[in-house]
Amino acid sequence: MISVLKKLVNATGISGREAQVRDLIKEEIAPYVDGVETDAMGNLIAHKKGNGKKLLFAAHTDSIGFFVTFIEKNGAIRVSPVGDIDFLAFSYSEVVSENGVKGVIISEKDGEIPKADSVYIDIGAKSEKQAKSKVRVGDFFVPVPKMTKLLSNEYAGHSFDGKVGCAILIEAIKQIKETKNDLYFVFTAQQEVYSRGARVAAYSVRPDVAVAVDTTDAKDKSSVSDGNAVLGEGVSIKIKTSRMIYSPEVVEKLREISTRHSIKYQCEVANSGTEGDAKALQNGAMGCLVGAISVPCANIHTSSEIIDMKDAEETLKLVLKIAEEYEI
Amino acid sequence: MKELLKELCSAFGPSGCVDSVRDIIVKNLSELNPTTDPLGAVTVRIANEGAPKLMISAHMDEVGLMATGITSDGCVKFGCVGGIDPLVLSSKRVVSENGVSGAILSKPIHLQSADERKARTEIKDMYIFIGARNKEEAKELVSVGDYFAFDSEYVEFGNGFIKAKALDDRLGCAVMCTLAKNLVKVKDKIPYDLYFSFTDREELGFSGAFAAAERIKPDYAIVIESTAVADICGVAPKSRVAALGKGGAISFADRATIYDRDYMRFVTDILERENIKYQIKQYVSGGNDASHIQRSACGAKVLAISAPSRYIHSPSDVVSYSDVVSIYDAVYAVITNKDLPFEQAKEKI
Repeated sequence: MISVLKKLVNATGISGREAQVRDLIKEEIAPYVDGVETDAMGNLIAHKKGNGKKLLFAAHTDSIGFFVTFIEKNGAIRVSPVGDIDFLAFSYSEVVSENGVKGVIISEKDGEIPKADSVYIDIGAKSEKQAKSKVRVGDFFVPVPKMTKLLSNEYAGHSFDGKVGCAILIEAIKQIKETKNDLYFVFTAQQEVYSRGARVAAYSVRPDVAVAVDTTDAKDKSSVSDGNAVLGEGVSIKIKTSRMIYSPEVVEKLREISTRHSIKYQCEVANSGTEGDAKALQNGAMGCLVGAISVPCANIHTSSEIIDMKDAEETLKLVLKIAEEYEI
Repeated sequence: MKELLKELCSAFGPSGCVDSVRDIIVKNLSELNPTTDPLGAVTVRIANEGAPKLMISAHMDEVGLMATGITSDGCVKFGCVGGIDPLVLSSKRVVSENGVSGAILSKPIHLQSADERKARTEIKDMYIFIGARNKEEAKELVSVGDYFAFDSEYVEFGNGFIKAKALDDRLGCAVMCTLAKNLVKVKDKIPYDLYFSFTDREELGFSGAFAAAERIKPDYAIVIESTAVADICGVAPKSRVAALGKGGAISFADRATIYDRDYMRFVTDILERENIKYQIKQYVSGGNDASHIQRSACGAKVLAISAPSRYIHSPSDVVSYSDVVSIYDAVYAVITNKDLPFEQAKEKI
């Protein structure tokens, strides 16, 4: 799984501009599925046929990033955030455009908390003309892809959020030879902008049960961390987040399967946190059972997200067992 | 098209109360058998069964006010229908759905404290004077829940500019009516199953367009709109959105939608080839019906093209008529382009 995750991290894509990531996934899974298609929103929908219940697994292909909105006379690039961006976390980060132009995000007001209107990207251009030869309004930038191994099984990098889920689903698709249940694997678009893709995908598939596979906010080592999950403590099963109650029968089933197969898991009940694709899947399917399982991720939505690969392995195990055993 | 635009702008039609606007459109397009759905959207179809579905959309509704109460001295308290800057409201003339004229008033300057003079007057401190001497008289004229709209004349001025209320988005409606009537004459040139939807409730969260799109299930959609511009002096170049007179502004992203890039390029390639003026909307701001059309049903590839409008959401929207014409030309060229955007989205292996 680690090698496919590395490939995914190196493929860049923000919400609405997921083509690179989508193409890579398509190439990885094509030999292992009965059908794969891309819909109008950019969701990649893969199918492994079975005669049982229609199960949908979703992971999102998009990451947060920046749209170019304006190029100044002096060659500075103005940007607008895509997704939930904390400009303080990204100031002085190295970034790269969709066409490979490298730059650094600079905060122009010393001592103030940087905001969208007070940062620019310096690509080293000396003039508007030079900048415009490399970058156009509407292009996107993302933090330079990287993935660093820390101690234990921890890794630091950008865009684990989303891509860890994709890596898990790719691996699951490769490992599942035969299936009783009718399985759909959806690699969703535009999750970071209110899950616009998931709704549409669920509308086309109409699953009986949908499970979102993603990362979830984990505690870091500071005393004030407000994450919901703990790194290294296994797959996190969501019970409730701020505006979402996950189907109790799904939660129960996930706990039962985990216990029976000795899969290390933790449960998440939070007043904060977003519902990710789960709610959109439920709405789009005109009402279906939903669950959400996640790999805990510290410093989420920064260029140094941290995950424990052991948690990802446990999540994969759970996905495989849900696909194999889930009955309604 | 200009005469129709004038007639449409003069009609009364805040979100949820667009009957007068709808009547004009239905009458104008009577030979195309317009239908109306439960959320008030008018749709006409130039059918081409089996071809990809293209939905062209503009909204009929304008921003307005709604009466929330009547004071003991016979003035009307109100709330906004859609986003209106309170600064715009003070001392403006308005008219109710039943034709009752009024003017918006707030505390006179000689009674304001020093702090109040510096602060912006809030809507809760404003009221509409309708010429009633007491509560009883006012109740005869206005009930809680009545709509008000700006009372503002359609005026052409200067070098091709138009000032009116509700140019957002009656200009889109005027362009669509004209397109529908002209395109039906060249039906054979259209490679789409073509729908024109005139929606309601755009200013209140796009629900009309969502319902219309769920019905039509388009493969592609083009939303004809107007957009704020911020191209006046004092605004830093980086914060400007678009400029009047430079053609329709095509968005790559706004606060509600990230547009499909391949579809955008398909369109801009046609406009370049046909030499039709357009500009790319720069600042990421605003939002329109495209957002809910994009995520309707199985999803649609969407594009928005907007006339830059100064002082949008005020009694004095100002647009350059040349931009309205450019938008007409642009959408006409896209619809009659003989090649389809690209292979249909679903590529199976």
